[in-house]
Amino acid sequence: MHYFWVPFLPMFGIIVPLLANKLNRSACTLATALLPALALCLIFLDLPAVLAGESFSKSIEWIPQLGLSLSFRLDGLAALFSILILGIGLLVILYARYYLSEKDHIGRFYCYLIMFMTAMLGIVMSNNMLQLWFYWELTSISSFLLIGFWSHNSDARKGARMALTITGAGGLALLGGIILLGQVVGSYELDVVLNSGELVKQSPYYLAILSLFLIGAFTKSAQFPFHFWLPHAMAAPTPVSAYLHSATMVKAGIFLLARFYPVLAGTETWFVVVSLTGLFTMLLGAYTALFKHDLKGLLAYSTISHLGLIVLLLGLNTELAAIAAIFHIMNHAVFKASLFMAAGIIDHESGSRDMRKINGLWKYMPITATLAMVASASMAGVPLLNGFLSKEMFFTETLEQSILGSMSWLIPVLATIAAAFSVAYSLRFIHDVFFNGEPKGLTKTPHEPPRYMRVPVEILVAICLLVGIFPNYTIGPLLESASLAVFNHALPEYSLSIWHGFNFPLLMSGMATMGGVAIYLNRKHLFKFSGMFPDIDAKLVFEGCIQASVAWAQKITMKLENGSLQRYAFCLCFFALLLIAPPLFDLDTTRGSLPGTPINGAVLVAAILIIAGSLATIIWSHYRLIALLMLSLVGLVVSITFAYFSAPDLALTQLSVEIVTVILLLLALYFFPQQTPTSKSRPSHFVRDLTVASFIGCIIGSICFALMTHPLDSISAFFLANAKTGGGGTNVVNVILVDFRGFDTFGEITVLGIAALGIHKLIARMRLSVRTKDYAGRLWAKDKYPVLLSVVSQSLLPLFLLISAYIFMRGHNLPGGGFIAGLITSIALIQQYLAHGVDWMAKRVSVNYHYMIAIGLTIAGLTGLGSWIFDRPFLTSWFEYVSLPWIGKFELASALVFDIGVYFTVIGATLLILASLGKLTTTERLTVGER
Amino acid sequence: MELVYAVCVGFMSTCGIFLMLRGHTFTLVIGLTLLSYAVNLFLFASGGLTIGAPAVLSSSENYADPLPQALVLTAIVIGFAMTAFAVILAMRGRADLGSDHVDGIEPFDPLAEDKS
Amino acid sequence: MSLFDHLVIFPVLIPFFVAVALLFPGLSNSLSKQRVVSITANILMVVVAFSLLFKVEAQGIQVYALGDWSAPFGIVLVADLFSVLMVCLSAILGLAVTMYASAGEDKTGAFFHTLIMFQLMGINGAFLTGDAFNLFVFFEVLLIASYSLMIHGGGKQRTQANIHYVFLNLIGSSLFLFALGTLYGTLGTLNFADMADRIPLLSSNELLIAKSGALLLLAVFGLKAAMLPLHFWLPKAYSTTSTPVAALFAIMTKVGIYSIWRVHGVIFGDQAGELANIALPWLWPIALLTIAIGAIAVLASKSLRVLCSNLVIVSVGTLLVTISLNTVQATSAGIYYLLHSTIACAAMFLLAGLIQQQRGQAEDRFVAARAMPQAGVLGFIFALLAIALIGMPPLSGFVGKALILQSVTNASEAMWVFPIILVGGLIALIALSRAGTSLFWRTNGENTSALKGHPLQYLAIGLLVVILPLMVIFGGPVSDYTQLAAEQLKAGLSLQQLNEVAK
Repeated sequence: MHYFWVPFLPMFGIIVPLLANKLNRSACTLATALLPALALCLIFLDLPAVLAGESFSKSIEWIPQLGLSLSFRLDGLAALFSILILGIGLLVILYARYYLSEKDHIGRFYCYLIMFMTAMLGIVMSNNMLQLWFYWELTSISSFLLIGFWSHNSDARKGARMALTITGAGGLALLGGIILLGQVVGSYELDVVLNSGELVKQSPYYLAILSLFLIGAFTKSAQFPFHFWLPHAMAAPTPVSAYLHSATMVKAGIFLLARFYPVLAGTETWFVVVSLTGLFTMLLGAYTALFKHDLKGLLAYSTISHLGLIVLLLGLNTELAAIAAIFHIMNHAVFKASLFMAAGIIDHESGSRDMRKINGLWKYMPITATLAMVASASMAGVPLLNGFLSKEMFFTETLEQSILGSMSWLIPVLATIAAAFSVAYSLRFIHDVFFNGEPKGLTKTPHEPPRYMRVPVEILVAICLLVGIFPNYTIGPLLESASLAVFNHALPEYSLSIWHGFNFPLLMSGMATMGGVAIYLNRKHLFKFSGMFPDIDAKLVFEGCIQASVAWAQKITMKLENGSLQRYAFCLCFFALLLIAPPLFDLDTTRGSLPGTPINGAVLVAAILIIAGSLATIIWSHYRLIALLMLSLVGLVVSITFAYFSAPDLALTQLSVEIVTVILLLLALYFFPQQTPTSKSRPSHFVRDLTVASFIGCIIGSICFALMTHPLDSISAFFLANAKTGGGGTNVVNVILVDFRGFDTFGEITVLGIAALGIHKLIARMRLSVRTKDYAGRLWAKDKYPVLLSVVSQSLLPLFLLISAYIFMRGHNLPGGGFIAGLITSIALIQQYLAHGVDWMAKRVSVNYHYMIAIGLTIAGLTGLGSWIFDRPFLTSWFEYVSLPWIGKFELASALVFDIGVYFTVIGATLLILASLGKLTTTERLTVGER
Repeated sequence: MELVYAVCVGFMSTCGIFLMLRGHTFTLVIGLTLLSYAVNLFLFASGGLTIGAPAVLSSSENYADPLPQALVLTAIVIGFAMTAFAVILAMRGRADLGSDHVDGIEPFDPLAEDKS
Repeated sequence: MSLFDHLVIFPVLIPFFVAVALLFPGLSNSLSKQRVVSITANILMVVVAFSLLFKVEAQGIQVYALGDWSAPFGIVLVADLFSVLMVCLSAILGLAVTMYASAGEDKTGAFFHTLIMFQLMGINGAFLTGDAFNLFVFFEVLLIASYSLMIHGGGKQRTQANIHYVFLNLIGSSLFLFALGTLYGTLGTLNFADMADRIPLLSSNELLIAKSGALLLLAVFGLKAAMLPLHFWLPKAYSTTSTPVAALFAIMTKVGIYSIWRVHGVIFGDQAGELANIALPWLWPIALLTIAIGAIAVLASKSLRVLCSNLVIVSVGTLLVTISLNTVQATSAGIYYLLHSTIACAAMFLLAGLIQQQRGQAEDRFVAARAMPQAGVLGFIFALLAIALIGMPPLSGFVGKALILQSVTNASEAMWVFPIILVGGLIALIALSRAGTSLFWRTNGENTSALKGHPLQYLAIGLLVVILPLMVIFGGPVSDYTQLAAEQLKAGLSLQQLNEVAK
């Protein structure tokens, strides 16, 4: 049970290199290698049991809602992969220490590398599908970081982005597949999922699940048509290519296929799709590899081709195919990793990877050359090397399968051709690089690498030989248990020996070898032939596609967000119309049961005035002053209407607000052009707006009518009943405002206060040009402040204040209240401003209006808090009738105090707004002329 | 009577919305004010219309629905705050952008284009 | 009635009193004091919010009857898990934003801290209130505050964007009142619970009128939530305003979403008899379109802040999907995603601010520029946030996404949701990887002149970023909370229950 810690050790290891970066490189390397090495030991501790055919799994709940649990398993397959990951990982760490130059930030590099190692271990050891996906995406991210490690170079950036996009897309598809699969099975734990293969294959979702999984696997394992990202990932430092893009990450997709083999495999679709994809990828890769001049390019395409081979094997409908696949996974990992490292050494020590330049390195670096040659021989499938064994098995299986019915014979043929090509490019690798004359135009003279840089290669090549010669003693048991895990049932008979006698597979190998030699000898013609095709740079194509879609997106967005408020406002109104209209169409009549009140002359006149006024406002909306007058006329009538329909408070409020608003608008108008430039909006817009506006108007009108004519049992009765007893006031509206729904008023005065502050903010930075003439070109009147006005207003002031005090006091019982009183007071003060000007007032009234707002709000708030003392919720009112001599019995109510708060806030806000606006007219007079 | 009232409300909201769909800030402010009148009347009427029976206790037998009145009061105040802010913002827009068009610049004149 | 019993109203009162206090002479003329006060206040808010959370978890839904008038006559605040989670969210955002701004951006205009406080008051009020008209009032509070905050710092673009924002919302407010009038005129009440009770009692005619009133509310909330076709104002507004304000606005759209959830998901939800789920037929297509258009805009974005604004739109679409799925599971997933996306977007806005200030002329546009002095740490944070926003592990994004996909159970829905959400994720991945590579890797030379980020700013971002992994590590408990919240929300609350709770 040590295995459970395996994924965690490297996880902690992620930070180690960053910490150890301060030390010298070797120490940093050692520190980095420590935890992975430990993890490897843990695996080996559990290995015997695994080889005995056991499989462990342990899971801890994490996010039950999601079905995600911290859950790991160790069976043959997991063990095999973890050994590959950790083993090769350690070698790569050692190798990178010598490969990276002094100026590369090695700590960061190791950090990413270990991050990747963690993710990869997580994938292979996960026992929970969501957790598997979790790590799956982590590999994409870390590979992005590793490919882009040399971020200054544009190829690296583009390659990294491409890899991330493709694998990321695959990851998203995989997520979809996993969730569907989980919903079908009812669990995300692999223990359960792996044993419910039948259920899955029966389910209607099977095809969806399969295709999503395949997309995930094929993108990761660079199968056609997603193969193109892999060659461009070669922009990464070579250790990365050796580790991620040959040995491990690209195998993740294959691992996925193998892991879910018992669940998904075994159907016609699986066999056809998987095998054909594999076959085609194998051929494509093998063929293309031959023509690559870049060393790493050649290896990249050969990797693609070998991955294709493995996928093909997994897709063959014979019992042993899967075993062969697993076997080849190991072998390929080993020899390809060593080849990449060799390529890296060559690049590092000769300064180039171009096979047209680097020739005849044999005499410069004999040892490396030997190692590379052995490895590539194994890649070509030469006997006594591990590559040969798995290739033999592969050939055998291709002969056994029967996927294409009568045409099944095609597969072995094509397999042989692909093999021939792989022989050819292996030959080219050996011959072009180590022989074939002298190096051409190298920047430095090649030489053997530092001793320890070669060690990893040596180890891997040794493994190639050992496995190649004594398969049964070296790899046999592990392969067996791994296959057991894949099949999830007893294994068929198979033998791992070098010599199976003269048989078809042997013949195929022979043909492949000879064919390969033939191809290589006639390569001139082939190069000419392939030269006739334009070579497409996938990177450019991909970037092009992205660019195109971005441009397209920008076009669309521009079209939609054209920056015209009128368009947006129309959308809003039209959308609202769409929403409210349909229900009313189902409504047979808007007239409700209530009898209508009879019409009379006064109302009619009012109505006519309103309609005429509104109409005039529209018609003359270009002549702003007139429009404003018309508007105020309407406002006046509205307040009369309120009065008529027994809402005196509303009437008073509306009236006073009306006055203040008009003053405000007039002041503002002073800064605006007196006329709106004749409408430039298209006539079509005009019609459009008019239509939607009138539709909305009609609907609102009919709803209004319906509401008035339908009987309504509302909560109002309660207010009428409790206003006096519970609220201590007879003016129910006011009691509602300060008591029943005092919280609304509380919010309302807050709004007023904020508005005032906001306006102050707006005005603070405003630089307006003030006109010296009116629209008719006449100069403004000389006498700023007409004497008469000033005298009258001054004498009126006390009267106003008295009125407001009266209105305030009676508010609780009769129409009135803090708000109206406040407005009246402020009107009075504004009048002083108008009459005497800001400066005159500033001398006399030295109140800072923000403070006044603050005081008002505080009073209101504290009144609310006061009720806490009496153990009552916020804003609970209290009232008492007290009688004093001479004055008589009168009422004291907390609501009254609250109203004082309202009163002050209103004054503060109104005056802050108007006064600061007024200031503009005086202080800014310096700037002259219309803009 | 209800009918007349409803017609007025509908008409006012039509005008208000139409003005709010125009292109110049000051017009929008006027439209906004008009619209808020309509809104207030609408909200007020949602409790039905009553004549000569203000919701002041012991002044009559049946009372007008006080709740909508309270709501309208709040709405008026908030409307005032909003209008004030809007008009000053319009001024600020003219100051910063040099034009009182809502998009900061007068749109090109299609008619003029036709002439050319 | 101890102070602890008033806890529900604290999230509204604390910001109110602090905001007012900041206006008084002692504080109004000393920015440093203001900073101290408002940061302390925000910390207090976080404490209060979380203690409220635990209280609600322990004792169930909390009801606070203002003025001691029981519902439906008085106004009540209702604190259930959903609303309290939202309050916690706003408290955290508030703290981060205030800290960030205290590094200097609060200098660039008057009343910054006061307005932020009022803004928070409005937001919390909107989350907590159980009364339709009171909701309107708090909407106005948060709107007027946001109007004033948006032009903080000044500048042509801000004024321009603000004009659009303000006038659209003014229309919205008028529509809100029309809708409220209609609902009151038919239902005769304003209390949410009472409304829900009365809907089944309506006559067929009133039903239809109430229906159009309710649907009109959808337009109003939709405007706040920036759902298609009402989202146009958002990108410009969010991308032009000052950094901390933009970050705070990340929660503003969520207020709209929240209200849709409360009103159209519950009051007019399954229990509404004739009017059950009237909004769903509209929400379903709108949700998918919003994601689609949002994603296209993400791809089209030319600067980080615009990109981030468009990601907000995508997240809104995703949330609308969870609303229209209309199951407890989906709701729970939605709430989790809401918390995650708000925090991630806010953090990204803050980060964009730092990037902009360190890239000089290039600001946050995706063009080659001189390397940023603190490219390392900024790049690291960017990577984390990008991963979170794309919805990749190991950050909370993937949990939210997976939860949402899981909650889609029937095939016909899955057919739409799976592709759109997955492709949306892919587009985010493409866009953000391009953004990251061009912001951090396509550099020429070092930009030494640019000023480095202030520790407070990093602290603010860190505060938000840390939450994302925590939401994964403690994903179990968090998702339990959202599950509970979803159950409470979907169960609905009748007036009777409400008043029992109040006692």
